[in-house]
Amino acid sequence: MRTRQNVRPSTFEKPNAVLLCIVAWFVPGAGHLWLQRTRNGLILFTALSLMFAIGLVLGGRIFPFEPSQPLVALASIADMGIGVAYVIARLAEWGFGRVAISTYEYGNTFLITSGLLNFLVMIDVYDIAMGRK
Amino acid sequence: MCTILLWGENRNLASHFGLLVLFSIFVSLVFAVLMRENLGEQLRLGGTLFASFVLSAIVLGWMMYAVPW
Repeated sequence: MRTRQNVRPSTFEKPNAVLLCIVAWFVPGAGHLWLQRTRNGLILFTALSLMFAIGLVLGGRIFPFEPSQPLVALASIADMGIGVAYVIARLAEWGFGRVAISTYEYGNTFLITSGLLNFLVMIDVYDIAMGRK
Repeated sequence: MCTILLWGENRNLASHFGLLVLFSIFVSLVFAVLMRENLGEQLRLGGTLFASFVLSAIVLGWMMYAVPW
């Protein structure tokens, strides 16, 4: 499927795939922006950042990494997927989780899903960098 | 959407269906962007995914209505 977005100037040199993945993890959509897929990058940045923010507003919890509790550890890894927003939220002590409110589980779902989707975004960036897309 | 965000802590005002719709919008958007290249195809896939999310939730919700526990 050849489209307008696939046509890149021949002078554009693709950066290192691993570096791209790290950037894509740290800032959602930044990998796509670097690869000159501006529209997709902006959409991904907006959607994933908003999802994470809404998760925090809904009282979701940013889970600590607890190897003794496998499900909590997995949720923690998923939370970490959003990159810099996770770091900011941890430093600002947001996302401690308000269990008593009705939207707590919804908040967790938004937080976890935003991180997992950003992992998919990283894989997409890797595929583009390797010339598979 | 504003109601969901501003009064999410209030049990009476938090709309579960509204949150489902919001979640579906975001997930459909990201999948459409990742799986399709041009705008027309992205809109088509995003719309299909969004409709599938919402309709399946409604159908499953009514199916669970009949479950006694």
